[in-house]
Amino acid sequence: MTPGLVESGGSLFIQRCAFCHGRDAGGGETGPDLTRSKLVAGDVGGDKILPVVRYGRPEKGMPRFDLPDSDLAALVAFIHDQATKAASQNGGRRGVDVSDLQTGNAEAGKQYFYGAGKCASCHSPTGDLSGIAERFQGLQLERRMLYPEHVKARIVVTLPSGETVSGELAYRDEFTVALRDSSGHYRSWATNQVRYTIDAPAEAHAALLGKYTDADVHNLMAYLQTLR
Amino acid sequence: MTRRWSIFVPLFAAAMLVALVVSPPSLAQGVDSAMLLHPPADSWPGYHGDYSGQRHSPLTQITPQNVARMGLAWAFQTGQSGQLKCSPLLVDGVLYITVPDNVWAVDARSGHQIWHYRYPANKGFHIGSRGVAMYEHWLYFMTPDAHLVCLNAYDGTVRWNIVIADSQKGYWTTMTPLIVRNHVIAGVSGDFDNLAGFLKSIDPETGETQWRWDSTPPVGTPNATSGGTTWMTGTFDPALNLIYWGTGNPTPVLNGATRPGDDLYTCSIVALNPDTGKLAWAFQPSPHDTHDWDAVETPVLVDGDFKGKPRKMLMQASRNGYFFVLDRTNGEDLLTTTFGPVNWSLGVDQKGRPIPNPDKEPARDGRLIAPDEGGLNNYRSPSFDAKTGLFIVDARPSYGIYFAKPADGTFGWAGADYGVWSTSVLEAIDYQTGKIRWTHDLGPGDSGAGALTTDSGLTFTGDAGGNVLALRTADGKTLWHAGTGGDMQSSPITYELDGRQYIVTSAEGVLFAWALPEATAATLAHDHRSSHGVNSTSGRPR
Repeated sequence: MTPGLVESGGSLFIQRCAFCHGRDAGGGETGPDLTRSKLVAGDVGGDKILPVVRYGRPEKGMPRFDLPDSDLAALVAFIHDQATKAASQNGGRRGVDVSDLQTGNAEAGKQYFYGAGKCASCHSPTGDLSGIAERFQGLQLERRMLYPEHVKARIVVTLPSGETVSGELAYRDEFTVALRDSSGHYRSWATNQVRYTIDAPAEAHAALLGKYTDADVHNLMAYLQTLR
Repeated sequence: MTRRWSIFVPLFAAAMLVALVVSPPSLAQGVDSAMLLHPPADSWPGYHGDYSGQRHSPLTQITPQNVARMGLAWAFQTGQSGQLKCSPLLVDGVLYITVPDNVWAVDARSGHQIWHYRYPANKGFHIGSRGVAMYEHWLYFMTPDAHLVCLNAYDGTVRWNIVIADSQKGYWTTMTPLIVRNHVIAGVSGDFDNLAGFLKSIDPETGETQWRWDSTPPVGTPNATSGGTTWMTGTFDPALNLIYWGTGNPTPVLNGATRPGDDLYTCSIVALNPDTGKLAWAFQPSPHDTHDWDAVETPVLVDGDFKGKPRKMLMQASRNGYFFVLDRTNGEDLLTTTFGPVNWSLGVDQKGRPIPNPDKEPARDGRLIAPDEGGLNNYRSPSFDAKTGLFIVDARPSYGIYFAKPADGTFGWAGADYGVWSTSVLEAIDYQTGKIRWTHDLGPGDSGAGALTTDSGLTFTGDAGGNVLALRTADGKTLWHAGTGGDMQSSPITYELDGRQYIVTSAEGVLFAWALPEATAATLAHDHRSSHGVNSTSGRPR
């Protein structure tokens, strides 16, 4: 990684990336802190970063960037350099540390889990959540807890013939629904020609967002962090 | 006297000569004050169309009955990966559109390129460009490094280029200036540093500064805020001679400790005299903001009844989740209500301003906040439909988590926040009650399209999946749609040329013009002229 490459990457980063990710890649408007990103940490020579830059993540608001390879290499060098700098900062680091998220009461969180939150109607600390705190920590765990956007919805489509087709929800807007069946086959229909039901487990999390107090969130975090 | 003539005569003669040589041979007139006050049907001469910010058109060729037959008239490809986020400008049959560092002139009849201007490479934030302003035949274009460039609308050549703010300090610009008579009123962006927000009025001929209004005290004033940027185009009431402008969030952004109190005039709606920049009044949608909720959303001007009394009103669906109706003569609050999930306030004070809950300020262990940083509304243009009394806004119910701790400091962002969940809905708000008369689901995630209404009772917008939608304004029912294959980040406009009404929308780097089939439009235009007596000399009804 040459200083020249990092510098030109920094210049490009300011123009194209800094509004969302911050000038130092530590987070800005709407975009995540790249210096704490798992994807960046796992990137070798751009193998993880470049596909995200080239193709974007439209569902998350990350646009695609049509840039020459030399610019992309410079961007990758700059991002890694910033991540290294941030990680080597001793104490008082900006952003959210695991230690910041330890203010809750685990017992109160457990009560919420089995009580008001009704978490136990879908989850079990010895089932799907067993060892969750080993797999996810800090902000990553909290964001998954608040809204697990990675959880796929399922759809059952009833065709005019009465035949039903089910699979993973692949697309939905006002006019079109689509699924991917168990063989990976993509099929779509006009919404006005079929009936369908969607089972989206993540929506129960969205429904809770308006009910939590901040203490509920902190207590639940404390409880989840005991599940090792 | 003699001396005056001796100067004047040669100048006058020279001016006549220049006029003879450079006058365009067409009927093209460019933009003047009369056009801006009453935009003709074949124009869209300012960011909002007219000065009111209503984004409402009197055009009626496309109706709820025939909109199902609407189709693509043409598309224009910028060939750029940067998204179109501009409101196209239309004058004399030519559309002007922009992305950062780029301006195109496009024939509004055919969609073909007339010229393309490229601003030199620069290190500013290339986050978006909301379009150009026009005065006579000059265009005014703001750049990522916070310059204002004046271009000749005929060929895209540069007339002058001035610095509005110092991009080295952290300013950038994206907005479309507002033209009021001979004032080019330009705002700035930049909340990554502790900087003063301001508005400048620029002389359209010379580029000289006529006045400057600062939103906040000089940076470094003890216990005072900085910030209050001015990054969206304001509106203008010619009778009151006031411009209305929204200001951005305070800085440091998420940490309010160093800026106790209300932090005037950040997150405010201000009324200024366009000739002097003098403040007439201000109303603050978000006192002491700590969530990045700029109050720059379009201040829509409406004259009408409010609870039985005729009023000159200003309405804003603000980023913080509140909808406000103000008396725009004095800034008095008439109505304050939420238009989606809001959990950060303790209620509303006697002046109609939300009272921020100190327990919802960003904290080390996080605070769950509705709406999130992107807000319940943002740059997306709303529309006001007078017939139904509906304020139509592309809303974004959302939750985010906000963090701040001493290590985050007191400069710039000074904290961290993360979106948790969001969805998009078009809402029709009854301005007299604040009640939501109908909502139209626009899908999970974000829709960047604003709304346009027309006198025929149609609302044009887009959903989060990239569909352009035509809805019935009365109830929000979908009457027509088309997939554009991309993210829509600009608000629709409409115009009528050669008897054919066009709706113009964008997706990614492509501009689309929609219209009824040519034959249908021609028949309707002919009927329209006949029924309005334009052809009445023939005396024969058709």
